Amino acid sequence: MKSYYLKRLVPLFITIILITTLTFAMMHSIPGGPFTRERPVPEAILRALNEKYNLDDPILIQYFKYMKGLATFDLGPSYSKIGTTVNELIVEGFPATAKIGGLAILLIVILGIPLGVISALKQNKGIDYFVMFIATLGITVPSFVIATGIIYFFAGQLGWIPSFGLATPKSYIGPVIALAGYSLSFIARLTRSSMLEVLRQDYIRTARANGIGEFTVIAKHAIKNALIPVVTYLGPTIAAILTGSFVIEKIFAIPGIGRYFVESVTNRDYTTIMGITVFYAVFYLIMILLVDITYSFLDPRIKLKGEK
Amino acid sequence: MDKNKFVFIEQTGEGSEAIRPSLTYWQDAWRRLKKNKLSMIGILVVFLIIGFGFIGPYLTQYSYSDQINKYKNLPPMLDLFEIDGYNFHISKDYNMFIVEPDGTLIDRLDLPPLNRDTINKIYRYQMGDEEVILDFSYNLLPDKQGYDYDYTIEFRGQVVTAPQTSKLNKMFPFGTDGLGRDLLTRVMYGAQISLLVAFIATLANLFIGVIYGSISGYEGGKVDEIMMRIVDIINSIPLVLYVILLMVWFRGGGLTNIIIALSSVYWVSMARLVRGQMLSLKEQEFVLAARVIGVAKWRIILKHLIPNAMGPIIVSMAMMIPAAVFTESFLSFIGLGVSAPMASWGTLANNALSGLTTYPYQLFFPALSIAVTMLAFNFIGDGLRDALDPRLRKG
Repeated sequence: MKSYYLKRLVPLFITIILITTLTFAMMHSIPGGPFTRERPVPEAILRALNEKYNLDDPILIQYFKYMKGLATFDLGPSYSKIGTTVNELIVEGFPATAKIGGLAILLIVILGIPLGVISALKQNKGIDYFVMFIATLGITVPSFVIATGIIYFFAGQLGWIPSFGLATPKSYIGPVIALAGYSLSFIARLTRSSMLEVLRQDYIRTARANGIGEFTVIAKHAIKNALIPVVTYLGPTIAAILTGSFVIEKIFAIPGIGRYFVESVTNRDYTTIMGITVFYAVFYLIMILLVDITYSFLDPRIKLKGEK
Repeated sequence: MDKNKFVFIEQTGEGSEAIRPSLTYWQDAWRRLKKNKLSMIGILVVFLIIGFGFIGPYLTQYSYSDQINKYKNLPPMLDLFEIDGYNFHISKDYNMFIVEPDGTLIDRLDLPPLNRDTINKIYRYQMGDEEVILDFSYNLLPDKQGYDYDYTIEFRGQVVTAPQTSKLNKMFPFGTDGLGRDLLTRVMYGAQISLLVAFIATLANLFIGVIYGSISGYEGGKVDEIMMRIVDIINSIPLVLYVILLMVWFRGGGLTNIIIALSSVYWVSMARLVRGQMLSLKEQEFVLAARVIGVAKWRIILKHLIPNAMGPIIVSMAMMIPAAVFTESFLSFIGLGVSAPMASWGTLANNALSGLTTYPYQLFFPALSIAVTMLAFNFIGDGLRDALDPRLRKG
């Protein structure tokens, strides 16, 4: 087991280094520095700024300095928000993002999977058609449309929820639904098809033939096996949702990490773009690793490589 | 022997099953696809959208960049106040229009700056020598509270407090945006851009993914190992993030840049799929036979292996198109899309966001277009999967 983790961790680090290098190279190959403005900045100020942020060093030195910073979890200063570091931005933004994301994932799991299971058990009945209709809508309507629709109807017309910020518990409703929408629908569809597949298997028939109660058959034998593809999908989704809610954060004006990312993209704030990218990538990789480990608990047939 | 002793047996048609014409894989797939009603609807809708996007703009009288300044922010439904045979429409930004009874706009009425009494909230519009007076002070000023209407329109001494009829906007069926551009034309043009991005990016993904995957799968061994490691690394990066980074790297939007960014990142899943197909196909006898008679490696891949893997490839391609539409609109939405005055569905939706509460129709049409397109492609994808790859059949 230990050697398995080792085997997974080494490529993880290589990937992180590669991602950082690639991002670094991309950011530094853009013509013009971060302080290039429409109105030329006076020479002396530019030189002072470049010196302050070590931008006058040769590119390789800058790279090593950045990597050294990264090794000590220091992502450098933000270029456009003078006086703040990227670390501070992430620390400030991540809690809001994680809260929305966490709630969205909770919603996906406690709503998506049961809906899929019910839909599969009542295949071709009214409830199945209804759930699948909603789910199909959910995967075809983009999240920003769902979000703006929620703002328009529930915040604007009906006034039930606030249209921006995270001040009250109610204000979580909008962003969480908008964020969960697509994955919730996808999970429901995936659970349904996977469940139908499992219900046709011989071991389910055997279980029924042995006189095991229908509930036990479904809950213990069918669902557990039907969840394997769901977990496969859920892993990257958790990472993506916890990190990738740029649009939702922009629409609902949530002071999260995604908003800083979008802002930094428009401001060409290179250190922030890089910092958040690297942060996302590391987070994403760790989540995927966790999912792989979860597999072995769900399905004993899946043996982790390196495990003897 | 007497010929008449033989009697013809009546044909029952029972044996006809055996001589059913044999169908090729593609004929069989097409037959199965035809049976799937939803997919056929999807195909029809996609053709309609293509027509809408590529032929439609020639049928409207405006171009996507025409700005008709006097007709800005007009909704698709005009609320009409009928007074003394004239029809008036008040837009949300307090412009007064005179309209034909059938909903054709005639003109915007002049509002000289002196006639604009913002303190008492009374605007006096000029129609020739006559005046149309809009009083929108009700429920706004402290001494005018408790009315059940918010404004009155006075013309030739007659006062109206509510619109009598609503008519479809004949000149701009989808309304106009904040710069007076016809939204119908812009949504059509947006369809062009969005579909173009989706198709080209998907084709590029197909090309790179299939070539990469088949080389990796066919070669096997060390080559496969290295190539798949690269795919693993690319795959372990949140892709949207890298598309955004690429867009920043390309210094902002632009059609070509979006296409390049989308194609350079999304081919990995295709490469994996093709590799898997190659691994199983290359062990089969027909490949061995080809190799024995000395067919070149690239010819085996192109002529024998790829055609046999075409089913799953096409299915995954059909699923890739909506994903590309989605990503493109997402990029446009966060401001990395095509630059103005060009428009894709995503930029249209983004532009509409700022005036959402006042002009919701500006979001509605682009959003609807995206949703319908996604739905159509999803139906086609589902149908193709059932038709081409029965092993993957769901439900």
